[in-house]
Amino acid sequence: MSKVPVSSVLLVDGDIISRHALADYLRHCGYAVVEAANTDEAFVALSEESLSIDVILCEVTEVGSSSCFELAKWVRANRPELEVKLAGGLQMAADTAAELCETGPLAKRSYDPSAVVEYIKRLRAGRQL
Amino acid sequence: MMRPRLADEGRQRIMEAVSVTPAEAPHASRRYRILIVEDEVLIRMMIGEELRDVGYEVLEACNADEAAAILDTGLRCDLIISDVRMPGSMDGLGLLAYVRACHPTLPVIIASGHLPRIKAEACGATGFLAKPFAIDIVLVAVAQALERPHE
Repeated sequence: MSKVPVSSVLLVDGDIISRHALADYLRHCGYAVVEAANTDEAFVALSEESLSIDVILCEVTEVGSSSCFELAKWVRANRPELEVKLAGGLQMAADTAAELCETGPLAKRSYDPSAVVEYIKRLRAGRQL
Repeated sequence: MMRPRLADEGRQRIMEAVSVTPAEAPHASRRYRILIVEDEVLIRMMIGEELRDVGYEVLEACNADEAAAILDTGLRCDLIISDVRMPGSMDGLGLLAYVRACHPTLPVIIASGHLPRIKAEACGATGFLAKPFAIDIVLVAVAQALERPHE
């Protein structure tokens, strides 16, 4: 039986600018993306049975009733079929997103991870003005 | 996936109204960018996916504070769809007041299950969606708000 390709990502990030940039990037790579602003929203999405999620990408500094590590622990105990990728910072989140795109449904397309990071930096810089 | 689907006829009507098609949209030089402000993640996702399907670019904010943060970046936004009751330092009407003060020409559609339309419009809303709503109603309201001349 062939492995079903990863096609849906639950992106958990408390920073709307980073979240949007990463989600936009992943969508351009062909993923369906569910955006959660915190772990509470992530649990709501995970509890929705009709919602298909293959991978969780969680930025560890986001806020919520539970930490990202508690979310990962819960997923491993209750939804072991899901892959959880924890990202410890913006650079790591961008790298992880780029890694997903390299191995994901549109693997033939090439993307420059550094361009994504630059995009996010520009958005962040604009917000600080 | 849980997304309700529009009938083909309704989808075609909406796509004609916004003058884009899913096939054309990724290559268009400028797509309308819509900011959805909604604290219910599944509702936000459903609206976002439907709007993306017909060719819009969509940003998702979980509350008014996130919406204000994204507006403060100077990132172009063509329309806001906002819930009213949300956690954070301001609700949807607070966000509407902020937008009217700082981005007076930016159209805002207010979505609410308890607020009367007349109050939303009196506060400066461009459009109003009574919750619960069908997704095709959202698409029609979006097309109308974007076509309406900005005052």
